[in-house]
Amino acid sequence: MKEDLFLISEIERYLEGEMTVQEKAAFDELRRTNPQINRQVEEHQLLLQELDHMGRRQQLQAQMDAIHGELDMSALRMEAMEANQAAKRTRIRRRTITNLAAAACIALVTSLSTIAILQNNSRNKSTAQYEDVRRVLNNIQRSQNALINDIKDKNKAPVNPGTYGGTGFAVSGNGYIVTNLHVVAGADSIYVQNTKGEAFKAVSVFEDISSDLAVLKIADSTFKGQPLPYALKPQSITLGEEVFTMGYPRDEIVYGKGYISAKTGFNGDTTAYQVSIPVNPGNSGGPLLDAKGDIVGIITGKQTTADGIAFAVKSAHLKRLLDEMPKDKQPKKEWSHKSKLDGLSRVDQIKKVEEFVYLVKVYN
Amino acid sequence: MKHIQDIGKDKDLLLGLAKNDGKSLEIIYSENFPVVLRMILQHNGSEDDAKDVFQEAIIVLYEKVCGGDFTLTSRLKTFLYSVCRHLWLKKLQSNHGLYALPVELEEIIPATDVIDEHEAKDEQYKIMEHAMGSLGQPCKTILEDYYLHKKSMQEIAEKFGYTNSENAKTQKYKCLMRLKKIFFDKYNTSL
Repeated sequence: MKEDLFLISEIERYLEGEMTVQEKAAFDELRRTNPQINRQVEEHQLLLQELDHMGRRQQLQAQMDAIHGELDMSALRMEAMEANQAAKRTRIRRRTITNLAAAACIALVTSLSTIAILQNNSRNKSTAQYEDVRRVLNNIQRSQNALINDIKDKNKAPVNPGTYGGTGFAVSGNGYIVTNLHVVAGADSIYVQNTKGEAFKAVSVFEDISSDLAVLKIADSTFKGQPLPYALKPQSITLGEEVFTMGYPRDEIVYGKGYISAKTGFNGDTTAYQVSIPVNPGNSGGPLLDAKGDIVGIITGKQTTADGIAFAVKSAHLKRLLDEMPKDKQPKKEWSHKSKLDGLSRVDQIKKVEEFVYLVKVYN
Repeated sequence: MKHIQDIGKDKDLLLGLAKNDGKSLEIIYSENFPVVLRMILQHNGSEDDAKDVFQEAIIVLYEKVCGGDFTLTSRLKTFLYSVCRHLWLKKLQSNHGLYALPVELEEIIPATDVIDEHEAKDEQYKIMEHAMGSLGQPCKTILEDYYLHKKSMQEIAEKFGYTNSENAKTQKYKCLMRLKKIFFDKYNTSL
């Protein structure tokens, strides 16, 4: 006990610097050699440090309490309350603004997507409005065909009436026929049949997607050419001019009469005319002739949403197509002559033209 | 420019605080308390909560300043506000199991490190306070007078009626030994 007391007083003196130099050196030595004493010293230091810390903290606390006591708490309270009220108000306002902004964004997105969908739909609708007038042949005519085949044993055309049908017309005396590309697209084999019921095998020799035209060549040796009665009129014709067409919406050739109702085709297509003429599936590829019997266009399609509105590719494109064809394939140029139909009555014109209008049958 | 000036002013205040200058403390206190009061009241606290939290934050600041390794990187206001927020969040979590303080778009600096450090010191402080409390009279007063109020042994001897300062000194050593025992019993077990 006594020793402890002595030690603690020595440590105290050591730490407070009351020792002489010799004493201090001796104590340092003692600390170095005796770890227990060293520990005592360190503990003592820590203790005093903590004590001091506590004292200062208590003093600080007391100071703060004093300051706090002098504060005008009621005023501060009021101020804080008001500030909080204001903050709450701005928070509510901010929340409202955020909500409004979110709602506006949703509205914007909705309206934009609605517009997009509507536009898309209308585009889809407009393509739906246009219909190629090629004919999907049904099986009812099979028996008739079979009958014809029996009579004409020369005819090598298959009994099957084909998958699709359209119309084509001769553009040369030696077996070149023009029809629509969409009639013969994807065809395995093509047969053409004239009003007399003679069928010939044909091959597509030239196609042009942009004007939707195809040139067929009759590949049958039994085919005998004839000079064409009509001429091609590449010039644009005037609005309201009377025109007529012949085609095969049925297995029988059908005559139709109408007039040029617009100089552009579907959706402002400048390569075509709008023609007010009755056409049906099967009329595709049929010739459009003016009153003098000149070819002015090729029937390609009609508008599904309105009656009697058909479209015809302008004859200028047919001329361009024939000019573009490779030399070895080109049909004999027989357009230079004047139409032999000028001045004839319509009935006589039809009689002459119908022999050169073919039913195009496509198998695939 | 203003920001730098503010920090300069704040640094002066901190120097004053480290030197136990009452005026600096008063300025810091009165300038920052209203903001903290507002924050605590806003988050379901009372005025007493605000006082406790704020004073604890000042203690944190004081300890940092006295430790000497403290450099003010933000404005003093921001520092105190952040510390208070963290302290209050801790208190809410421990008291009510509330976890989410509403996030606000105010300038906040991370103060977790500062608070963890403070908690270790606070622990030691509590041990010492407890040790001093259980020391009993007159030991407590003698030690306080000598070590905290820096009175001389002569004064203490007169105050407590010791015949001379040597007797008083012996008494002081005895008290110190007891304090040491109590303190380290607790200190070593708690560490």
